[in-house]
Amino acid sequence: MRVTFGVLNALSALVLLIGVFGVVQPRFWGLDVPLTLIALVELVSAVALVAKLPWALRALTIAAWVSFGLGVLVVSLILLTIVFLRGIHGDYGVAALAVSSLIVALLVPYTVVLPALELLWLKRQSVESRQ
Amino acid sequence: MTPRILLRLLAVWLGTLSVCAIAIFYRVRLDRTRPPTGPYLVSVWERGERSARTVVESAPERAFEEAQSRRGARRIIEQIVDSAPILGRSWLLLGHSIVPARDGLSVSYQGRTAYATPDDLCKLEAYEFTFALGPVSLVMGIDVNKVLGVLARELGTEPGELLRSGSFRRFAVLSDAPYPRKIGEADLTLDVVKDSVQDAARYLSRNQRRDGSFRYELNAVTGADSSDYNYPRHAGATFFLARAGNQFQDPALSRAARRAGAYMKDRVTLRCGAHACVGEGGQVDVGSSALALLAYEELLSGGNEEFRAPVLELAGFLRAQQRPDGDFQHFYSVSEQHPIDIQVEYYTGEAAFALARAHRVSSDARDLEAARRALSFLVTRSSWFLGSRYFWGAEHWTCQVLAELWQRAPDRVALKFCLDWQAVNRNLQFDSPPAPSEYDGGISRGPFMAPRLTPTASRLEAAVATLEVARAAGVSAQEIETLERQIKRAFAFLLRYQFSPGPTYLMPKERQMAGGFPGSAVDLHVRIDYPQHAAGALLRYWELKQK
Repeated sequence: MRVTFGVLNALSALVLLIGVFGVVQPRFWGLDVPLTLIALVELVSAVALVAKLPWALRALTIAAWVSFGLGVLVVSLILLTIVFLRGIHGDYGVAALAVSSLIVALLVPYTVVLPALELLWLKRQSVESRQ
Repeated sequence: MTPRILLRLLAVWLGTLSVCAIAIFYRVRLDRTRPPTGPYLVSVWERGERSARTVVESAPERAFEEAQSRRGARRIIEQIVDSAPILGRSWLLLGHSIVPARDGLSVSYQGRTAYATPDDLCKLEAYEFTFALGPVSLVMGIDVNKVLGVLARELGTEPGELLRSGSFRRFAVLSDAPYPRKIGEADLTLDVVKDSVQDAARYLSRNQRRDGSFRYELNAVTGADSSDYNYPRHAGATFFLARAGNQFQDPALSRAARRAGAYMKDRVTLRCGAHACVGEGGQVDVGSSALALLAYEELLSGGNEEFRAPVLELAGFLRAQQRPDGDFQHFYSVSEQHPIDIQVEYYTGEAAFALARAHRVSSDARDLEAARRALSFLVTRSSWFLGSRYFWGAEHWTCQVLAELWQRAPDRVALKFCLDWQAVNRNLQFDSPPAPSEYDGGISRGPFMAPRLTPTASRLEAAVATLEVARAAGVSAQEIETLERQIKRAFAFLLRYQFSPGPTYLMPKERQMAGGFPGSAVDLHVRIDYPQHAAGALLRYWELKQK
């Protein structure tokens, strides 16, 4: 699982970095800073996991919590923005709702689901090592 | 973290998020459909400026009664239908809390309240704040600095202080102003269409200079004239004027078109190798020459023989620019005397259309073949590219080429292409409800912006051309009926916003603007190509109905 999580974290980091700096325009610190932070801690933990460094699990714990926390925050902000715009503009059509939902659906696996799985795995690791 | 803790965390998160979402939604929303109960804002406008305003709770008709009879003064009564607070004190939130063309903004500060009504915001040109990032322009809500500046001045404070300490609300109003007009597809009679075309053509002829050029872009709310100019658009406006002059047998319009044609022929015609071309400077584009050719051909059919030779010369230039695959080299270096093989939007369609029309004059098989090949190039899409059903360019010229060639070189692939494109456009059309009734029929450019008139108008030029061919080609009655309804709804959208006479109380020079089509509900500028495309489409429809 170490290598799997390492590879997945590296992939997530790349997807986030390419997504933020290669696709999203214009630059907005409110989105850029948290997503870049998530990508960097994931990248560090990925290197540590793949290289089997002694502090790899600790790095993964930090990466998973940071990703989970900031991921939940970013997803919350996007959802609240959608609701805010819906309140301001009224019924603005299915297409806009679909695009907004797609953005959230694309973010959730990397920023919420993966770190949650990692945290669950880390818990099991610590239980097994204590036994 | 155990699975149980994770589930609890997620449940808490979702619960909190739902509560926040519901609270935000109900805090910021407006009910525009409820009967108005709020105060009346009574404003007097003179020579395009607001000269007085009062807020009354009842009997608004008694306010500024004398203004009703004062020459040049116009009283506008707006009643607040609903209002909602602006969340937070942030520039960003304030900027995104106003719906363009529909919402006003009020602010209370130290016991006084100032209002910026939709008319005020239009006059300020504050509804769309355009943020330029390199080549990309983004519309980022309202122009907060402009609005804060005006409100702060009225309340005798600084904009920063007002943002920190003021209490802001957005509001919807019911106005007695006659703009946008209340027109539906059922009102679209041929007389209405003809009047609209004539008004637009007269707008162009009224705003023509003695040398034949036009006032390129007029700002209705300031009366200012842009210093820019663009030859393809000059040629396009000339083409429309010449058509209107010929169709309505209107000597004034024909004279204006002839002057505009002479301006291109005598002042901006250059040599591009063995041929004539239209433009200025060291490099020209095929668009100017193509649209000039269309204008010359129309002028020639109106009896102006001096344009015969230029038609043939420009056709030669366009043929020389064509590539073996049917596309064109879109530029020509005048200084180095060679074609430049770069392509941009529109020009291939314009060149194809021009060559198809040139063939009427020249009877030269090379012109017809060049136009046919260009049309084939434009409509051929690889069946391996799945996105071909979803991604479309601006094809308004393409479908006019289809109609122009149909009797001489019918292309069924092109017909299917144009019908498919119109089906895509139907999906982009605003439907009311849920869209605001005044936007019904317009082509959407996104959920948070007012639709622009010209993208709708240029699609209509293509739609009417497609309708003409669809009838001739025996397309099913149901598809034709669907297409015609789409066309009528879009025309109704355009006519609602034409300056006939428009919001004259906001205009310092209302006579100058009469007949023009603005950019959108919030962009009250008229550039020469706006009436060209809108009235050009209407004229095409009028012509079709005459047949």
